Amino acid sequence: MKWPEAWRSLSGIFHSPGVNLMDRRTFVKASCVGSASLFLDGLDPKAFGDVTLPEAPPIEVVHGLRPAKSPLGMPGLFPGRVVEVADSKSIVRNRVSQPVVRDMIERGMKELTGEPSAPAAWAKFIEPSDIVGIKINPSGAPACCSSPEIVREIINGVQSAGVPASNIVVYDRYEYEIDVGSYQALLPPGVHVVGIQDELVDSGYDPNVYCQATFFGEWENRSYMARIVAHGLTKIINVPTMKDHSASGVTGCLKNLGYGTFDNVARSHRSPFSFTDPLIGVMCSVEPLRSKAVLHIMDGMRQVWHGGPLTQVQEFIHQAGILYFGTDPVAMDTVELDVIEKKRRDEGAPSLWEHSAESITNNGMEFYHDPKKNLFYRRPGHIASAGKLGLGVADLSRIDHGQIRLG
Amino acid sequence: MTSEPARVDTDWPALLHDNSRTGGLGIRAAKAPDHVRWHVRMGSSVRSAPVLRSGVLYVTSMAGNLHAIDVEKGRQVWQFQAADHIHSTPSLSGNKVLFGCDSGKVYAVNCDSGKPVWETAAAAEVWTSPVVRNGVVFFGGADARMYAVDVDTGRKRWTQELGGRVYSTAWVGDKHLYLGGGDGKVYCLDVSSGKTVWSTTTGNGIDSSPAVAGDMILIGSEDFFFYALDAETGAVRWKYETGLGISSSPAVWEDLAVVGSKDGFLYAFEVPGGRLRWKMQISDVVTAPPVIASGLICIQAGGTQAFDIATGSVAWRAGLGGAVQSAPVLTGDAIYVASNDGEVYALE
Repeated sequence: MKWPEAWRSLSGIFHSPGVNLMDRRTFVKASCVGSASLFLDGLDPKAFGDVTLPEAPPIEVVHGLRPAKSPLGMPGLFPGRVVEVADSKSIVRNRVSQPVVRDMIERGMKELTGEPSAPAAWAKFIEPSDIVGIKINPSGAPACCSSPEIVREIINGVQSAGVPASNIVVYDRYEYEIDVGSYQALLPPGVHVVGIQDELVDSGYDPNVYCQATFFGEWENRSYMARIVAHGLTKIINVPTMKDHSASGVTGCLKNLGYGTFDNVARSHRSPFSFTDPLIGVMCSVEPLRSKAVLHIMDGMRQVWHGGPLTQVQEFIHQAGILYFGTDPVAMDTVELDVIEKKRRDEGAPSLWEHSAESITNNGMEFYHDPKKNLFYRRPGHIASAGKLGLGVADLSRIDHGQIRLG
Repeated sequence: MTSEPARVDTDWPALLHDNSRTGGLGIRAAKAPDHVRWHVRMGSSVRSAPVLRSGVLYVTSMAGNLHAIDVEKGRQVWQFQAADHIHSTPSLSGNKVLFGCDSGKVYAVNCDSGKPVWETAAAAEVWTSPVVRNGVVFFGGADARMYAVDVDTGRKRWTQELGGRVYSTAWVGDKHLYLGGGDGKVYCLDVSSGKTVWSTTTGNGIDSSPAVAGDMILIGSEDFFFYALDAETGAVRWKYETGLGISSSPAVWEDLAVVGSKDGFLYAFEVPGGRLRWKMQISDVVTAPPVIASGLICIQAGGTQAFDIATGSVAWRAGLGGAVQSAPVLTGDAIYVASNDGEVYALE
């Protein structure tokens, strides 16, 4: 789709003269964000390792234009706070109930913000003049993706803050994945549904905002930020799913945001090694993504505890019926990691921290059907690394995790 | 009884062969291909199905191009640039090829020259395939409207506001047209006025396109069910629950309706009573529509696959033509498939 002209003018056309590129350039060394010290339910991740993992190379970051200073940017208004709302009626026989998730979202938003009404809660984050992006995760569609029912209710919430449908953009990287999820048909008229990247064309990215590092000798060692994030949107609401991830350990707020905003990200992991730690957190720290991502609503209707992010095997998808709310993506992902880790333990699957050579396979079918197998040595330490970059709280004992059960 | 549009036997002028939506070749069989005769790169993904007439294959692409390809030589004859991405499967009427694009424009382009004849516009993207019936072109848009325009001029006859986005290509008869809406309703509209005759609510949005078998409307819904509705009243005659939502559109052959589900299965139903004759897991996910040749069902799911219509057993598989919503064109001698990776293949 094409951008409306009004949005183009808002974007400042990609680059402001007079801004010194060097002012926007930073280097992140792996040693600054390394995952050696973590707080995971008292577990030392090193205890699971019998393989020495390579250290990540330094990552050069060239930021885009940072919006005016605001307390809304990550970790946002409520650092360290996670609100969990559960309702057993929210997903029945794999169908998400629209009215039940409506109540859950209203309750979660009020609980997160302390506001007496849902519209007031939405207004803490969104102004009527905003162009709001809703970053979905369709990559596991149709088995596990951001539920259209939840996205509809988020759209309702954004509209309650005075934003017209024409200034709401539901987006992700690949349009064909959005298509498999049928979001185009299922969302309200007037809302834009955008795939940033045609499978063959990378025209949706800004060549002036990027992360650069060479992980495996790849010839293209930059990942560019999506133009829609760098320029088009003024606020982003992140709607990740809850999944284990073969390379990063879990995919939650941080990975959905970072790897869904930049291109050329698959280069960070080549079996069996992964540099998703620290790249995921570094990407989330890049401006203006960091400032624009103001709210995260994690879809835990379905929780993938093995085979993520793309599995379609229902055996490993737990229909949990939970939503998480927060502004701190690190705290939310820390809670998610804890939940997925416990679920795997309950199911007799190895820890996400396990780095055993015996667990590695190159056989996709074996990986998808055997929870003891994986394609990479997972790197869940990317969450703590993001915490070290100031994106939030990675210590479970310091996270204010409120739990509400509606039914 | 619902009036059947006339069949065209030699060409493949519309989505799923022709407006009767049988998606089939009649008595001609589609033989198993053993080689690629040619392939053409479109330069961007293809999300639509090709159509064929008089030795020319018409393909739309995400780069916003309509390509005319000589199927004998495997070479492009001409190319037309539209205003935006194209997801719409083209359709052929007279000497015009019709399609919509993401800017909302709907074009009529001269088949011989590739020059535009007329254009009209919806207020949002048009992914549906225009359907031509008795000199009128019908199409729906993401603006939640159904449009009827004159096939010669593009002048609007009527516009009908519906309750949700329209990604379902209409089935059009003499008096009524049928489609599904993003609001979860199956609509029956009067073809002369656009007024709603009846609507039936399903449990979630619809992007499947309906087929008609006898006096029943067949359509899938994202509520996981496949529906057979009474064409006159919209009453549910029968429905069948699959494992996930249904974006695939049904193809009908004699008393059998075949449709894919996102649960990865292909389902074959006996139309009169809704009895499941067979189901077969063919992929992780099925969203594309099947087409039917004599004795065979052909569908793009992963690659291109063919199944025995009586049993659902695999007849052959070709590792080409990965697609989300495309469907092959079967000629009896060749199979033409387009894919997400932007290739169009002629298989023999």
